[in-house]
Amino acid sequence: MIKVVAIFATFVLLTGAALAHHGWGSYDAAHPVTVAGPILTSRFENPHATITVKDADKTWTITLAPTSRMSSRGATEKVVAVGQNVSAYGYPSTVQKDEMRAERITVDGKTYELR
Amino acid sequence: MTDAAPAIFVALEQSGFGAAIRRSAWLYPAANIGHIVALVFFVGAVAVMDVRLLGGFAATAAGPLLARARWFAVAALAGMAMTGFVLFSAEASHLAVNPVFQLKLALIGAGLLNVALYEFIAKREVDKLPPGAAMPSRVRMAGLLSLMIWVAVAACGRSIAYF
Repeated sequence: MIKVVAIFATFVLLTGAALAHHGWGSYDAAHPVTVAGPILTSRFENPHATITVKDADKTWTITLAPTSRMSSRGATEKVVAVGQNVSAYGYPSTVQKDEMRAERITVDGKTYELR
Repeated sequence: MTDAAPAIFVALEQSGFGAAIRRSAWLYPAANIGHIVALVFFVGAVAVMDVRLLGGFAATAAGPLLARARWFAVAALAGMAMTGFVLFSAEASHLAVNPVFQLKLALIGAGLLNVALYEFIAKREVDKLPPGAAMPSRVRMAGLLSLMIWVAVAACGRSIAYF
């Protein structure tokens, strides 16, 4: 019986240790970027809202937050609608080219924290 | 959406069902919470069964204990399948090509095969064992395998977002 409990506890501890490091591993937090420009497309959907934004030289895909959090922080579907001018501060993806996740966005002089 | 996935998963993601899950403010989070709650019941019930197969709780006859825990495990597994399908549909094309998701499905297959082998080969013998009787080694092996597989399935599920 003690052996059984020990085996189970070892498993729980091992998996727990692997998961304790929580974060968005595939984004480069050491090199934050700010992307500013008009919103070209907008998907106000779960698990994360996403917009594409035309910067000076390229189009970025920007991952925002879950829709319920967006709404509760005031960043409603209208705020991130196509045609709005947005400035997004966040971390570029190390996996997908020209994709970033936004820590915060600014629209019409108002800043919305997304994390 | 990714075109790298087989067409059926692209179609599922682009279906009205998939869109409704993404558009709803509460469906996706509700399925997410439901999936975890079902997991808690599932692993709890499975752990009771596996510990019994490994020789624990020996004072209680295996048959009735396993029968009761099995009911919880099957109900919880059904709950996980339903909530999992909702979560999957929202992002089907990405998940279908995610290596950790594929590993998770393979492990679920292995876990169910382990159950099927136990039910066909050993169940009748185990159900007849009196309290305190030693478990045959192949039964203990099935219990240990089950414990390892289902914990690995849970770890894979949590890891999908990181790959």
